[in-house]
Amino acid sequence: MPEVVVSIGPHHPALKEPVNFKVIADGEKIVRLELDLSYNHRGVEKAAEQRDFIRVLPLLERVCGICSHSHSTAFAKGIEEIMQVGIPPRAQYIRTIIAELERMHSHLLWLGVAAHLIGFNTLFMWTWRDREAVQDTLEEMSGNRVHYNMNEIGGVRCDLTPAQVNAALGRLPNLEERINKYVDMVNYEETMLIRFRGVGRLSKEEALRYGTVGPTARASGVDYDVRKDDPYLAYADAPWNVVTDTHGDVYGRTRVRVWELQESLGIVRFCLENLPEGPIRVPVPKNAPKGEILSRYEAPRGELAHFIRTNGTDKVERVDIRTPTLANWTSVAMCLVNQNIADIPVIVAAIDPCLSCTSRITLLDNRTKKAGVMSFDELIRRYRSRHPEEV
Amino acid sequence: MAVPETGMSRRLMSWARAKSPWITVYNSGACNACDIEIIACLMPRFDVERFGILVKGSPRHADILIVTGHVTLKQASRLRRVFEQMPEPKYVIAMGACGASGGVFHGLYHMMSSVDSVIPIDVYVAGCPPRPDEIINAVVTCLNLMEEDTAHGGKEWRQKKPAPGVDTEGKSCTVAS
Amino acid sequence: MNRPVTIDTITERMKEFGTAGQVRKNRIRMKTVPEKIHDAITTSQAMLGFDRLITISTVDNGQTFELLYHLIGSDRIIMSLAIDLPRDNPVTPTVSDLLPSAGIYERQIHDLFGIVFSGNPNMKRIMLNEDWPPEEYPLRKDWKPNPDVFYGGIKGERS
Repeated sequence: MPEVVVSIGPHHPALKEPVNFKVIADGEKIVRLELDLSYNHRGVEKAAEQRDFIRVLPLLERVCGICSHSHSTAFAKGIEEIMQVGIPPRAQYIRTIIAELERMHSHLLWLGVAAHLIGFNTLFMWTWRDREAVQDTLEEMSGNRVHYNMNEIGGVRCDLTPAQVNAALGRLPNLEERINKYVDMVNYEETMLIRFRGVGRLSKEEALRYGTVGPTARASGVDYDVRKDDPYLAYADAPWNVVTDTHGDVYGRTRVRVWELQESLGIVRFCLENLPEGPIRVPVPKNAPKGEILSRYEAPRGELAHFIRTNGTDKVERVDIRTPTLANWTSVAMCLVNQNIADIPVIVAAIDPCLSCTSRITLLDNRTKKAGVMSFDELIRRYRSRHPEEV
Repeated sequence: MAVPETGMSRRLMSWARAKSPWITVYNSGACNACDIEIIACLMPRFDVERFGILVKGSPRHADILIVTGHVTLKQASRLRRVFEQMPEPKYVIAMGACGASGGVFHGLYHMMSSVDSVIPIDVYVAGCPPRPDEIINAVVTCLNLMEEDTAHGGKEWRQKKPAPGVDTEGKSCTVAS
Repeated sequence: MNRPVTIDTITERMKEFGTAGQVRKNRIRMKTVPEKIHDAITTSQAMLGFDRLITISTVDNGQTFELLYHLIGSDRIIMSLAIDLPRDNPVTPTVSDLLPSAGIYERQIHDLFGIVFSGNPNMKRIMLNEDWPPEEYPLRKDWKPNPDVFYGGIKGERS
């Protein structure tokens, strides 16, 4: 029986609703999984067809609270490409800075929650405290800690003053020291993360076949990263590397995310130091010409795909959003078959599900034909009671 | 339920409730930014636990329910059930623009018309998402409201209080601070 | 896959399935028909190295529904296979036996548009709540909520 370590989206005992799927079990073993995403279905795609480009950006930002800049940038980038408008380099750099800061805050958040799930609350507190430095920087630059609303079609909404740039650069050394501590932890102090080993293992072929994206796939050696495959914004200028690992289990995904923190910090520093002068936006026509595009973006959780079709008016004809968590669900379903029920939290959390698909787990026992609802807290308690020596 | 505050035990309970409320959070279809700001309240920067405010998982032990998000059709009956499981006296804080009017999600096909069509709200917090400081302020406002309600002997004094000079046709208004 | 795949090799190889149109330097769009989609994907997997499905997108074109399968391979070229389905009978064979990740996308599209993927064993509700009436597909262009129908929520209290 593989050991299981879970890192799920922010799950504190306070939060009630994690992801939802029905687990059809035969006693303790899982036989089949059924997914239900309707708890958070808000109908954003339909609403986006009725709002013009200025109003649709705040709506798309609020699809997810952790990767809000990803959605609005993917959309803005797509529309700009259909309009064949090139945005000025300063705007590209500013968008990149915000994007990488968002990636850092998301990975630190994940690391904290992962630690909390194995009972390592100190790391939970440390990472979220370090995350506050990133939030402060984002608040200074954009005015809000979450949902920055920095994008407009044609550029960014507000500029970075030299004082803001210096303040951001001033916070980076301390943050870098903290991140290096976490890197040392995954490189050398394996005892802290021993429970991540061997859990939820995905081979490279499986990762490709099930369509996994993001750090989940990169931990299995698949080196797809939209920032390198289809360079956009300032990623072609900044020196950085795609991070991959060969473990394929939750430990590998932890390593990938922590190393990505280092890379992101490097990109932020490069962009802040080399911010080009110039305008921050260009005027764009009110209506977009007819066209279609598949706009891909590397969100913190993986590849985000917006398929946009325009029809010559100032509204889109269709925006089809495929979030990275949706792409990773198939791998979870496949991993969980023949595992024990108590191992669910770990395997699910390993893909870092964005809580925008939150829900509850319903258990249907095939043998006794009883149905019960279990919350994640109970599952975690069950998991910890089965492995008491590690608590 | 107007229970006069006689007796040592009742005074003790209302003192304890006002000094150390237990909170439960329910996500009824949110984008999760509000939930993360609530967890940020518990982290070393803001740290509400030093004030005695505990965030517990179960509604059966809670004094205050914080609802995040605009209620989807799927979550409506569940939210109602969670609210009914809470013991009296209970208070509800609706977070953010979603709690107030629906925010960006107002009027979409899979949403209820508003959060207060499902459960009665006591405190609204503005913001998208509200900052952790604003959340703590909302909890403190709720505690002050608790004390006022205790002094008046229950929540009824807040209902049916029309604005002066305005004809409300007998409708009651829910409290918003 | 020994030789690198380029736009020209793809155009050449996929000629039997439909017409190609290049959209950008590393993107190609092919128009084909529902009957050939299964073979088209098999060929692209076996001969051209497309090993990952990015997503399946749908558009409501009024008279037809258009489905696009976006595939990517190790050469980082994105191929979009487009098929048209008639509005009154939107049926197409499933591709979840070739690409396991397609199962979840097909389920989502079925819930929201009503397109039937024949051969997919798991066509249950995934995006809409359990009380949603069965024949209403919200993302179709002509769909408007009917005030007399109960779509979910609390019975008798939807305001």
